[in-house]
Amino acid sequence: MDALQYLAQGLGIALQPINILFAFIGCLLGTLVGVLPGIGPISGVALLIPVTATMTSGLPQADAATSSIILLAGVYYGAMYGGSTTAILINTPGENSSVCTCLDGYQMAKQGRAGVALAICAIASFVAGIIATIGLLFMAKPLAEVALRFGPADQFSLMILGLCALSSLAGKSQVKAFIMTILGLILATVGVDPISGVARMTFGYPELYSGIEFLTLAVGMFALGEVFKTIITRDYAEGEPIRVGSIIPSKQDMKDSWASILRGSALGFFQGLIPGCGATLCSFMAYTTEKKFSKNRANFGKGAIQGVAAPEAANNGAAGGAMIPLLTLGIPGTGTTAVLMGALIMFNITPGPLLFQERPQVVWGLIASMIVGNVMLLILNLPLVKVFAKVIETPPKYLIPGILAISVFGVYAVQLSLFNLLLMVGSGVAAYYLAKNDYPIAPLVLSLILGPMIENNLRRAVNLYNGDYSRFLTEPISLTFLVIAVLWVAIPQVMKLRGRRLEEVIG
Amino acid sequence: MTISKKAVLLSLLPAVLFAASLASDAAAQSDSWTPRRQVTILAPAGAGGGLDMVARTMAKIFDGKKIVTQPITVENKPGGGQVTGTVAFANQDAKNDHKLMIASTPFILNHIKKDGNSPIGPDQVYPLALLQVDYGIIAVRADSKYKTLKELLDAVKANPSSVQFVGGGGPGTWDHLNSILLARKAGVDAKVVKYNTYDGGGEALTALLGGHGDVLTSDVSSIKQYVQAGKVRVLGVSSDQRLADDEVAKNFPTYKEQGFDVVTANWRGAFLGKDVPAPAKKYWADKVAALTATQEWKDELKKQGVIFAFKDPKGFYDYIKADQAMYTQIYKDLGMAK
Repeated sequence: MDALQYLAQGLGIALQPINILFAFIGCLLGTLVGVLPGIGPISGVALLIPVTATMTSGLPQADAATSSIILLAGVYYGAMYGGSTTAILINTPGENSSVCTCLDGYQMAKQGRAGVALAICAIASFVAGIIATIGLLFMAKPLAEVALRFGPADQFSLMILGLCALSSLAGKSQVKAFIMTILGLILATVGVDPISGVARMTFGYPELYSGIEFLTLAVGMFALGEVFKTIITRDYAEGEPIRVGSIIPSKQDMKDSWASILRGSALGFFQGLIPGCGATLCSFMAYTTEKKFSKNRANFGKGAIQGVAAPEAANNGAAGGAMIPLLTLGIPGTGTTAVLMGALIMFNITPGPLLFQERPQVVWGLIASMIVGNVMLLILNLPLVKVFAKVIETPPKYLIPGILAISVFGVYAVQLSLFNLLLMVGSGVAAYYLAKNDYPIAPLVLSLILGPMIENNLRRAVNLYNGDYSRFLTEPISLTFLVIAVLWVAIPQVMKLRGRRLEEVIG
Repeated sequence: MTISKKAVLLSLLPAVLFAASLASDAAAQSDSWTPRRQVTILAPAGAGGGLDMVARTMAKIFDGKKIVTQPITVENKPGGGQVTGTVAFANQDAKNDHKLMIASTPFILNHIKKDGNSPIGPDQVYPLALLQVDYGIIAVRADSKYKTLKELLDAVKANPSSVQFVGGGGPGTWDHLNSILLARKAGVDAKVVKYNTYDGGGEALTALLGGHGDVLTSDVSSIKQYVQAGKVRVLGVSSDQRLADDEVAKNFPTYKEQGFDVVTANWRGAFLGKDVPAPAKKYWADKVAALTATQEWKDELKKQGVIFAFKDPKGFYDYIKADQAMYTQIYKDLGMAK
């Protein structure tokens, strides 16, 4: 087995004491960076590239490259994990893909199960990371070919499936969820339209040219919305801080979530392959899939452990999946892999079709470092869970200003713009009133991501096929997604009707 | 006791500050200016991108070769395709002699096009130096039936809807113009060229390799390794002459030699605030010239796959004004001019 031999070699490099140290530093820095909303894996890796260059400057060139990549991979995984920590503890998504973790993670924390939620995150990330690495090990080449097949029509149909899946996030009212979805799609049209180059709904403000920043809106709606609610409803006055219960997931917890972790990992991995899909979409698709097929569907949104395990596994699986087009084709599928590619280039390594032949030691070093990074993260974070979970015991009068400070700092640190701060506060206020009237926030936030993908791929496909819409139904991949989308929406309705009829018959 | 001591110190403070400001003014008046505190290089784009890379490389070499002895930091101000950062720079740092900005061709494109228009152009800042260029290319899959630019453009002419162009930038961006300029030279109406925008060059390339596009418009630095890997074939490059210094790119035929007189370059350069005093302008022009003369700088550019180019303030200003005139005409023809 060639791949295994190379991997053993890679592990040999990754397990040198100096590289273990780098992996440790990377994971630690990454976790710290990930805790701040706004500074996600993308900016974390970007900001640390010059730092790693300095740290490894004493080593010979080939070693320096491997060590730096190990460090950066650690930062990447650490940041992914750190992002979910704040999502669970204070309802603040630290980065895009942890939005879904907020939904059930924060509810778990409120019930005193923050420790369990954090631990299951670490476990899910670890398992997904290992599964993705195995996939990368044995199927990189054929999967890269599959990724290429994905045309604009197929992407469009996949996004339509995503849009239909949004209906699963509805609270009491499907109509209200629908309204919020549409609102998100409308907000998504703000900015310079990438296809025509025309500025839409920008009113001449350069700040709006690049559209409404997703994370600003998400932090505002989730974190600040919750803060405003706590202040206005005087939740803090009761003064009973939440106690942290057990940290180790019980046997029942593991039994409930292992299948979700595996499904999430696989889903994330395959979606990560598709360039332009992104980890956010993966985690959200994994969440809705779990909700759809779970026996205790009613529990989702109220602290279901599967609702934390699946998206966390998916976003880590996607991180591994995205490595395949990067390493085999030199095509970065996600923002972070784009930055990672920049880092590789800085060390004279150009990811692309030649990489596996020309620099196998770097490729396998990187793959090995993914394994090391995941193990390191688990070792580092399980003890830290105890420390982090204490945050929730902080009395609200200290916690609330703390959340505000972290949100403001995080959003400002990356955007450096007052406009985005105001947008964040504004969306926080809006979120308070929306939530008060039972309008679910998640569909709005997620359709903001889906909007441009649907629109751009639709227009690309129509242009490519010279206006022939029937191609959406004749392309096999596209057709498959559309059929699933229809079933997704139709089956519950049919079931409902049947149930009613059955009742009528019996009644 | 302590209180009165503090009071004394506090009352002294304005006087000290006043004296300090006088001193610094005096320094600014004299002919030889040197930075007195930390210098910032602004990249009007996110960390990790091309502009950011230039800014960080500059900072590294300024510091490493002791060309500038004060500490240098890089500031990122992304948004609006350089618009947010360049507008803030021109407005807030017009007199700031401790701040440089890096910008590229889209900086002037934004100024002259209708949509996404920026109020800031080359006349609202001080062009300091041209730092590097990259050239446009037209590429097809290795198994494509098009062997030359002429074959390709003849096919476009005969049936525009049969040839799908893909690129990483929307209409009016440099990537797009690279394909449109050629089409115009071939006598094709630019508006009927079938063009699809992807989110960045990487995705556009994926579309080409996956068969969802026939022709890719991109640049030399991004395409080189795919040529080496035998995945794509470059039909033409937008440079004036063949890029003889580059092992891979020297085999790219120019547009010009194939009878299509289109020569363009995507440049990156450094800028200062418009109202920075003359001595500081001179200081920075000298230092940037010294930077570009180092071997380290040339090595870095080679590593990043871009081509070395340098022009002093006067030369750089004339260069981008000529560019601006050319692109204005194209936008007018396309109905995209401001």
